[in-house]
Amino acid sequence: MRPGAPLGESVWELLHQALNLYRDDPHAAAVLHHHLSRFEQPLRIAVAGPWRSGKSTLVNAIMGEEVAPVEGEDGRQVFTWYEDGPTPEVTAYTADGSARELAVTRSAGGMRVDLGGWQSDQAADVVVKWPTRALRHATLVDTPAVTSGAENDGNPIMDRILREADAVLYLTRDARSSDLGFLHAAQEGGVARSAPINMLLVLARADEIGGGRVDALQTAKQLARRQYRDPEVNSLCMGVVALGGLVALAGRVLTESDYAPLAALAAMPRAELEGLLLSADRFVSTQLPAPVGAEARRALLGRLGIFGVRLATTLVRTGCDSRAKLAAELVRRSGLTELRESMGRYFTDRADVLRARSALVVLESVLRQHFRPGSRELLAWVEYLQSTTHDFRELRLLAALQDPQLGFDAERTAEAQRLVGGNGVDLTARLGADPDASAAELWELSSYALHRWQHHAEDPVRNLAQRRAAGVVVRSCEAMLVRLSAR
Amino acid sequence: MMAPTWLELLDETVRVCATHGRSDLIEWLQQKRAQLVDPRLRVLVMGEPKQGKSQLINALVNASVCPVGDGVTTTMPTIVHHAEAPSATLVRTAVPTQGRSNGALVAQPERIPLSMEQITAGVSTNAPYRPGVAASTHLEVGVPRGLLASGLVLIDTPGTDDQDPVRNASIFAALARADTVLMVTDATRELSVSELNLLLHVGQSHTNVIVVLSKIDMSPDWRAVAERNRRHIASAGAQATLIPVSAALRLQAARAGDEAMNAESGFPELIARLMRDQTAKSDVLARTSVGQVTRTVVEQLAAPLRAELAVAESPEMSGPISRLQEAQRAVDDLRRRTTKWQNTLNDEMADLMSDIEYDLRDRTRLILRKVDEAFDEADPLSGWDTFRDWLEENLAEAAEANFDWMVQRLDWITHQVASNFARYGSDVLPGWSIKVPDDLADRVPAIEKPTIEKFTPTQKVFTALRGSYGGLLMFGMATTFAGLPLVNPVSIGAGALFGGKSIFDESKSLLKRRQAAAKTAAQRHVDDFFIRLSKDSRDTARQVHRMLRDHFAELTEQLQAAIVESFRSAKQEADALTAAREQRRQAIDQMAQRLAVLVEEAQEVSAGRGGALRARLESRL
Repeated sequence: MRPGAPLGESVWELLHQALNLYRDDPHAAAVLHHHLSRFEQPLRIAVAGPWRSGKSTLVNAIMGEEVAPVEGEDGRQVFTWYEDGPTPEVTAYTADGSARELAVTRSAGGMRVDLGGWQSDQAADVVVKWPTRALRHATLVDTPAVTSGAENDGNPIMDRILREADAVLYLTRDARSSDLGFLHAAQEGGVARSAPINMLLVLARADEIGGGRVDALQTAKQLARRQYRDPEVNSLCMGVVALGGLVALAGRVLTESDYAPLAALAAMPRAELEGLLLSADRFVSTQLPAPVGAEARRALLGRLGIFGVRLATTLVRTGCDSRAKLAAELVRRSGLTELRESMGRYFTDRADVLRARSALVVLESVLRQHFRPGSRELLAWVEYLQSTTHDFRELRLLAALQDPQLGFDAERTAEAQRLVGGNGVDLTARLGADPDASAAELWELSSYALHRWQHHAEDPVRNLAQRRAAGVVVRSCEAMLVRLSAR
Repeated sequence: MMAPTWLELLDETVRVCATHGRSDLIEWLQQKRAQLVDPRLRVLVMGEPKQGKSQLINALVNASVCPVGDGVTTTMPTIVHHAEAPSATLVRTAVPTQGRSNGALVAQPERIPLSMEQITAGVSTNAPYRPGVAASTHLEVGVPRGLLASGLVLIDTPGTDDQDPVRNASIFAALARADTVLMVTDATRELSVSELNLLLHVGQSHTNVIVVLSKIDMSPDWRAVAERNRRHIASAGAQATLIPVSAALRLQAARAGDEAMNAESGFPELIARLMRDQTAKSDVLARTSVGQVTRTVVEQLAAPLRAELAVAESPEMSGPISRLQEAQRAVDDLRRRTTKWQNTLNDEMADLMSDIEYDLRDRTRLILRKVDEAFDEADPLSGWDTFRDWLEENLAEAAEANFDWMVQRLDWITHQVASNFARYGSDVLPGWSIKVPDDLADRVPAIEKPTIEKFTPTQKVFTALRGSYGGLLMFGMATTFAGLPLVNPVSIGAGALFGGKSIFDESKSLLKRRQAAAKTAAQRHVDDFFIRLSKDSRDTARQVHRMLRDHFAELTEQLQAAIVESFRSAKQEADALTAAREQRRQAIDQMAQRLAVLVEEAQEVSAGRGGALRARLESRL
């Protein structure tokens, strides 16, 4: 171990040392091996949340296809891993490790899996290989509902999610304290607490806010921003994103046959349409006059929800006059774009940091649970990494910069975001230089940036939060200079 | 008009509470009574945040009386009642500080009039706040509505939150004064576990609970949700009807004047139910409510009684009974110890006596052996004085050693006996102690000098003459034959030889006789000494024995007196306690009887009959 090495290398070495220490303990060694092998694998992003919070809808929306959920006949869900693969392929694994391939039926917008009489309680995990671009950099994990039942013995599902996944999208209706309470409880250990960089809170079903008004999603975004400022929420996650899951999914998979009835509805007289859209019951009722058949309306309602239909018809009327336009606008409004940006910025761009972090978390818990001579030294190294790793702080700053309340002007916010790696972690991306800029140019740019941000960090006019943020940027600039001088 | 049966039952319950001294319950019952006598129906709307509680009230009265927002909006209870003209008041009651909770000192609630615009804008943000005063605040809003005119009062509450006990406390305070509870849950999902828990909690104190399934306009499958919710409620064992409504439809219907849409919103059913509740309030509702209240009160009153009975029946481990048992044990213990110490003392004393005697005899025998040896050689004539001194000294030493040992042994015995009394304290040893007497040496009698025959010169001459005579004559006669005279030098020489021999013989036998006399004298003296001494030590031992016996007997008596005294007092106490307990048990029985009557009557009243409370009480008690 040498101080100052990149995080990934240090963690890799620590894991090997721990393996050496625990070579006679098969259980601990298996856990450590598992995490070593995960260094080579794509990032694992879990979608978690309470029952009916919209997990599978979100998975589908991200993938742009209707593949989730995979569930047994009794409606029980299992951990479902969506990986990139050349052909669709579904394998179920039981708790004892035996695997079985399952039949896949491709449907128009996705697939349907036949569990083939398997009881879902037999299958521990289902792995879905699916050819899609969205999975190239990350594996998505659809998880069973996290129920806040027994409080004292922890939450087995949440524990497993935090153990297995490098990053978590936690879906909640309203980020209530009962939700947060057990998220806090689940973040166990010094590393997990000090670096809460692996979680995004998603205000799912944001379209239901305010009784499903057309501007519900805008309101939800404001709510999300307000939530993020709550220290209790802030200390837990990298951001709060409002998402209208159904609308997002509809936007991703909208077909011409969906668009046509929407256009027809939008062409109705406004008062009549409003009467129709007053409630879900009225929308599908056969009593009221409508240009579209009741069956088609029912399908629309199932796809978009009453809010989605209201939004889509309004959008069609105000200019989105083609399927593509409407789909793009639906995706934009649903908050999915923002969510995917956040996932990219915080998760896939920093995959190595997140993987190193989850390895550290597991290493810490192994060292603490199986304490033996020699563990203390390794724990000291874990603590050292936890307190010195700059990447963790960069990520936290990146999240904080999204909040206009920090008080930097737009230009400075953008610069800080670029310097701490919000636009890409390469030197050129951080410094905003040409990809083929010379070392001397980069040196000049970064020393200039360092100088400027040192000034901000010591500027007495700025408030504490700003000075701290500037301090983090300074540290990033210094790190760049170190890398340049090492060339 | 006669008071309704439920009122009679309630008043009787209050009286029973008074006899139990439960002023807290009385206060609660009085409040309940005032509430039941009040013809208005108070409807509490509660539920988790963001379920549409405020919107439900707005839709019920067709007016924007409760602020509705996208985030968590309602922050304080809002009471909506009938008024001729719209009015709004912020009521702030200072929470009575500890120790001055009696009515006179409670501050009058402060009333701050507000405009209706402020209400809809959300009072919480701009309400004048006075720091430092702990206050419970609520809003009162009056609106002119026919629905409310009959006396319906709607109470909006902030959403319940498991993590916020302060807020929940204000909700449950409002809950206590409610006649009907509407629990709002939205149709986009089924009842959660915490909602079911809340429902069960409310069900404990309220019989009239309605679960309102709100926002049915938003959910295409609300019918399925409603069906599953009904099943959840039934399987949780809660008593509640479920009414699905849509506030959005109702408000829209009111704007458009569309009766059909109003019917679709589900509100007519809810309103009908509320109206029915109100007309039934003074009868069915009040009766079931009083029945429930009475049962709750009786349960509360009976619990301590049952606990007391349970305690009384369990074997007592402290108090007078245990003291009595303790005293009993002490008496037994003392008795055992008394026998034990007496045995110890007697045995040890007997051992002591034989040991001492043996020791003394042993010592004197040793002395006598030495005396014998000495007088085999020595002539008492010359060494008597030395011998006497030696003997006296030795005897005195023996006596002293013997006594010393005895004293030690006695001391040991004393401690041995005293150890039986160790648990009664440290001062059980006698105040005196035995010492070796100083005059022990003087008690030894002086030895008598034996009569010693001396060999005087006269006796010697006489003996010599007697011895020489034989020799002179024998040798004179013999020499006569040789012609010598009878007295010649030879015969004279033989006579002298013979005379010398007789003197020598005589003095030797005299020495033997003297030695024998001296030995006898010494033996006699030592015997005397032994008898004297052993008598002395025996006396001493016996005396000490007696003293010890007296001492410990007295000690035992004292201890016994104390223990018996405590035993007696413990017994008295225990008897008194048993009597008091018996009395108390009877009292409890009586109280339980009365409570049982109350419960019976409560059941009767709930079922719509009752009225025989007086008669029943009289027949029972």
